[in-house]
Amino acid sequence: MGTVALPWPSRPFARLYSRPERDRLASVADPDEDLVRRVGQGDPAAIQAMVARKLPRMLALAQRMLGDPAEAEDVAQEALLRAWKQAPRWTPGKAKFDTWLHRVALNLCYDRLRRRREVPTEISPDRPDEGPAPDRGIMTAQLGAQVDRALAALPQRQREAIVLCHYQELTNIEAAGLMSVSIEALESLLSRGRRTLRQTLAHLAPGAEPAVEGVRR
Amino acid sequence: MTREGMDETRIGELAAAYGGDVRRWPESERDAAGAWIETHPLEAGRALFDARQTDAALFASPNPAVSMDLRDRVLASAVAANLKARAAWPSLRKLLWIGGASWAAAACAGVVFGANLGGHLAAQSQADAVLDQAMLSFDETEVLG
Repeated sequence: MGTVALPWPSRPFARLYSRPERDRLASVADPDEDLVRRVGQGDPAAIQAMVARKLPRMLALAQRMLGDPAEAEDVAQEALLRAWKQAPRWTPGKAKFDTWLHRVALNLCYDRLRRRREVPTEISPDRPDEGPAPDRGIMTAQLGAQVDRALAALPQRQREAIVLCHYQELTNIEAAGLMSVSIEALESLLSRGRRTLRQTLAHLAPGAEPAVEGVRR
Repeated sequence: MTREGMDETRIGELAAAYGGDVRRWPESERDAAGAWIETHPLEAGRALFDARQTDAALFASPNPAVSMDLRDRVLASAVAANLKARAAWPSLRKLLWIGGASWAAAACAGVVFGANLGGHLAAQSQADAVLDQAMLSFDETEVLG
């Protein structure tokens, strides 16, 4: 794990974007608005829907940021717990709920990554062996594991940019806001991260010799 | 960047950052980029090839599955958070607003009532004065003949 200084919070939102950009962000419709309102009123169906909609996203975010399933579950659970507390007093129009939830989960991830650095360890947590995966197929599972390892080996900020933009499918403006960087800096992080991944996984490209036994394309 | 500003360099930058699927590119540049790619398929193909390979590799990483145990724990945390409808009890701000509005309405009603009462009393006193004058005139006529 790298020793990049944790960035959040470092620059206020107002300094990241021009006034028109901030106005445009504020005016973006929030697809979760009605659901959050109903959750805040204790509607059981809305709570179930919120869990179905957000828990997999938060778990995926934490898993890729931390690389540790147990910690990822803790982060996802804590993020949703904070969502329950926030929902009754949520003010629509100030931010998208999904972006707010990502910020909560990212901050929880940062805390855990910071604690890891304070207690250095030689062994970074790997994904546990999930055993045979008959549905996906062994080769597909091995390929996924290789990609996960390559992703985990990236510098933290590059990994974060790829996780937010590619896997979480946030817009570049949302991702840059969460990372407290400019759009240009975000694009630079994405480009460098993807270039490193491409080099690391070059042996998986069609026609390349497999570097790991059993993995062929 | 405007449609006119789109070129192979920028297409390469976008593909390197956001991947080979234009639908994932920044909304502000998507249309211009799409139009450029349509009119420059060869150059676009070169720029997008590596990006699409990287995309394919990234998609090989599976999303973790949510266990029933985690789901149940999260649902239990919602119950523990004791979420309730707030409609029955308005917020403190709303209570203050209602209280203030009530005081203002009462004050207005008092002013109107006072004005009406004042007018009524003035009319009453005028009537009394006329009656007094009439009685006085009557008495004087009767007495003086």
